[in-house]
Amino acid sequence: MFSNNRTGWLLLSPTIIILLIMGLVPFFYVLYVGFFKWNPLAVDPSMQFEGFGFNYRRLIFDEVFLASIWRSIKFSVVTLFFELGLGFILALSLLSSFPLKSFFRGIHTLPLVIAPIVVGSIFKLFTVQGLGPLPHLLKDYFGYTLNYGLHAEQAFWMIVIMDIWHWTPFVTLTLLAGLSALPQDPYESAKIDGANNFQIFIYITIPMMVPVLIVVIFIRLMDSLKIVDEVWMLTGGGPGYATRFTGIHIWKEVFEKRFYGLGSAMSILYLYITIVICWLLYSVMVSRGKNED
Amino acid sequence: MKNLIIALVASTFSFAAMADGHAEWWKKAGAPYAGTVLQGVAENTPPGQYAGEVLAKEFEALTGIKVQLENTSWDSMYDKAIKDMEANSGIYDFVYIEQDIVYDYLNRDFLVNITQGLANNPDLQAPGVSLDDFTTFIDYFKDGSGDVFGVPMEAFIKVYLYRKDLFEAADAKAAFRAQYGYGLTPATSFDQYRDNAEFFTHYCADKGMECWGTTVQGHTGHPASTYEFLESIGPSFGLYNWGVNMDNYHSCVEDGGQLNGGRAKAALNFWTQLLPFAPPEALQSTWSEVGASFAAGRAAQGWVYGENAAWIATDAEKSAVVGNVGVMLPPTAPGVMTQAASGNGYIGYFDGGAYGIPHSSKNIEATMLWLQYVALNDHQADWAIAGGRITHKDTYADPKVLAVDEQADGYFSLMRDTGFLYAGAPPFPFHGAGRGAIDPFIYSALAGEMTPEEALDGACKALDQVMSDLGYQG
Repeated sequence: MFSNNRTGWLLLSPTIIILLIMGLVPFFYVLYVGFFKWNPLAVDPSMQFEGFGFNYRRLIFDEVFLASIWRSIKFSVVTLFFELGLGFILALSLLSSFPLKSFFRGIHTLPLVIAPIVVGSIFKLFTVQGLGPLPHLLKDYFGYTLNYGLHAEQAFWMIVIMDIWHWTPFVTLTLLAGLSALPQDPYESAKIDGANNFQIFIYITIPMMVPVLIVVIFIRLMDSLKIVDEVWMLTGGGPGYATRFTGIHIWKEVFEKRFYGLGSAMSILYLYITIVICWLLYSVMVSRGKNED
Repeated sequence: MKNLIIALVASTFSFAAMADGHAEWWKKAGAPYAGTVLQGVAENTPPGQYAGEVLAKEFEALTGIKVQLENTSWDSMYDKAIKDMEANSGIYDFVYIEQDIVYDYLNRDFLVNITQGLANNPDLQAPGVSLDDFTTFIDYFKDGSGDVFGVPMEAFIKVYLYRKDLFEAADAKAAFRAQYGYGLTPATSFDQYRDNAEFFTHYCADKGMECWGTTVQGHTGHPASTYEFLESIGPSFGLYNWGVNMDNYHSCVEDGGQLNGGRAKAALNFWTQLLPFAPPEALQSTWSEVGASFAAGRAAQGWVYGENAAWIATDAEKSAVVGNVGVMLPPTAPGVMTQAASGNGYIGYFDGGAYGIPHSSKNIEATMLWLQYVALNDHQADWAIAGGRITHKDTYADPKVLAVDEQADGYFSLMRDTGFLYAGAPPFPFHGAGRGAIDPFIYSALAGEMTPEEALDGACKALDQVMSDLGYQG
């Protein structure tokens, strides 16, 4: 037994060491830096300890940072709503047979393999005012002016659309895998009992899909809260603060303004908020599991 | 591209001529470092491409030292260079130092003192290279004692470009006089600039042409717009040094600054009111897009960076307006020209950059050879033709450069004769942090979310907060 344990630990040790170096060490370093006032561009460029709460107290009253968090959460909720809805519809569609199904599935999956920064570039080329085809088409056929460099709401929704385009295929594929693995007995029983398709979907499919849905929500929520690349490419966080999500705000504070201490504190606080949101989801998942038992 | 090919051919001859003169010295000096690979990172500009594609190859043939120059986007260049120097990782042997970031780099002791380095290694001192050959632009890369930390490789002024064909069209002249009561000419005042912009927007629309009255470098999510305001529009209204009081590092009027003063607000009002007369892509345009828009014939006039001015005027493969480009000084408010001429102000941005050596470089001596090769007089004229840049005094008088100057409506002559009216960025070690504080307010003013007055009141407070946080206000 002891020998088995030792072999197990030996085999695991490279992974554990890499995890420690790549994950925990940077985390604790950022946590440490977050307690200091530190900007190498300052008159005094050294790290100055001004109390554990110095940067965190400041963040509580930092309207721009708090607004960026609210913006990120709003973005995540909106994109999740649409990606789940569309993903579910597409997954259900892909369960049935129709002409060119394989072709559609291949095309539909393409965005998933494109790097976020490239997605941003594609959308920029497609939508930039004056040169991209979309503003021309919208203007010519619907009389609608698309200029997200000018209109904050358009910029936000353009990024929502871009994220939906990029990530709905992931939701579709994951839900399709879940739907394909569902047992058929409950469906047959329901049909014998006279349930219609809508009732079957609401009372059988959705309850059985809850674990898969929660995993999808979990992954997409964490991803969308971290969004940076696509936004960076498309709007740069503008106009004004309209698309300055927390990831971009932290980048600007740390790499543009060089507020290393404050930026580290922001990262830690944002990580904490992300963990809290995910913990709430986890609690829902666990309580749901218990109820089903 | 055509210019680059001509330059490649021409450089072969000049390279041969130079090699005749000092080839043995370069071969001998390079021998200890033969096989070394120097890594560099720079902004992807025409002069940078020339350095990477022409000079690097010549240098390798002469010395056996290979130069790999990574020409990339402005943002990416800074990101890579600064991270490398901060981490002291030594990935890059030389980095591009834009004029406005040099104070930051010097303040943080990122760069090798080239003057000192060559003094300590006389064997590395190349024949035919003298720092006295450079224009005064090299002064931006010196410290207080006059030591050089960067070898200039490009320098430009931001000029006023206009479309000669549009301004000289008889029907446009007649229509303009009928509408505004005076003659149509390139702008020498802001009112005239605005009238021209309005006029050509309607003129182009009436003729079914895809062109507008003016460029605006107004990206609402990129620092390019802040730079256009702080370094071009603002100074031409008399707003200097970002409106920062250089004695007490305050920028709000109530504390002695000027960022929310009358001149600044007039400048921002003027600039934002040009937006209806700018191409639709203006709010997503950085300096690159402004150059591309003008080259595509989409604007009648505009403030355009010099690095783009030369190719727009001369490169028929990339520009649709070759032969029709006029170059002038931009309009200025009353008194600004006098202040600039007396050295108490400036009318716009003297843009450019240098190659410097990070302390973290693992090949400092070999890189010093490369930077001296870059500084040689022999290839400056071909480099000027290929990249529209001039860093050496004698280059202006080169016959090849004079010929291109004529094609470019005297852009090089204008830079030679009026360069002293321009200035680089103010000597702020906190350049990036300060500009980052101002950015969102400029974006909001451009997007119409704030009035220019609100934006500048907010911007000065944000900038003051940064300068206070960094300890500059005492």
